[in-house]
Amino acid sequence: MTHDDDFADLDRMLAALPLEEPPAGLRSRILTSTVYRPEPAVRAWEPWAVGTLVALTVWLVWLLATAPNAGARFVELTTSLVEDGGLTSLTTLLWFAVGLSAAWWISQLSFPTARRVRSR
Amino acid sequence: MSAALAVEPPVEAPVVDDQALISAVLAGDAEAFEEIVTRYQRAVYNLAVRTLRDATEAQDATQEAFFKAYRALHTFRPGAKFSTWIFTICYRLCCDRLSKRKRFSGDELPDRADPSAGPEMLAERSDEAVRLRAAIDALPEKYRTVVTLYHLQGKQYEEIATVLNLPLGTVKTHLFRAKEQLRKALSS
Repeated sequence: MTHDDDFADLDRMLAALPLEEPPAGLRSRILTSTVYRPEPAVRAWEPWAVGTLVALTVWLVWLLATAPNAGARFVELTTSLVEDGGLTSLTTLLWFAVGLSAAWWISQLSFPTARRVRSR
Repeated sequence: MSAALAVEPPVEAPVVDDQALISAVLAGDAEAFEEIVTRYQRAVYNLAVRTLRDATEAQDATQEAFFKAYRALHTFRPGAKFSTWIFTICYRLCCDRLSKRKRFSGDELPDRADPSAGPEMLAERSDEAVRLRAAIDALPEKYRTVVTLYHLQGKQYEEIATVLNLPLGTVKTHLFRAKEQLRKALSS
């Protein structure tokens, strides 16, 4: 006689034991946390990128502001740009155009994202 | 040829195997994952509720198991059994929850009161299924889980050993002792 024979009645009871029904809302909870999960408002890397840019800007401004004669040099640079016609020169305008084009091109880039499941 | 033989058998919807469903999910088909949830949520929930003995925690563990499985679906080995995989994930989550419980409430854990066990429920305890469930719940955790998986997966000892990460012999021993205790509890 095997162990299985010893427990034939118990095995029969176990086989006949119905599974408990999961709560009604469980299925929708699972689905909304997986395939139908709402898109996050911002991607994980975006706060980091913005934070880094802000930190760099603050650092740059602080460097400029604390440089010796910073105010006078800024006024001098602005004056020379306006008075010497730097802003209206072809070279300056060309660089502005290049800069704006590059900014527009970067804004049009689409970076590969994590696998997304098609919703119905 | 008799007329009975000419009758065409009823056409049944083809059953898609788990591997095909997983491939479909990986290709972006959300409905395929819905089908996976339909197939396994009941079994996974039962494993969690038997292991944790707490319906609310079992719901959370089930949801977390499916979430983890979904996130890691691309790592699922073709040819493996999905049920074994998701049971393993669920069992590990349950173990984490049990160890957290132990940390907060000392070594000896009192059995949690079943919120669904009201006076009516208790009155039905004579019913065979209810008595069996109560007897399973009273087993020590290691035996309870083996019996639950045996109930969910049948006599697939290798699968049970994989889920519990135990040697096959240990699984058989645990199951034997669990059944002995169950029989004793049911006959008393």
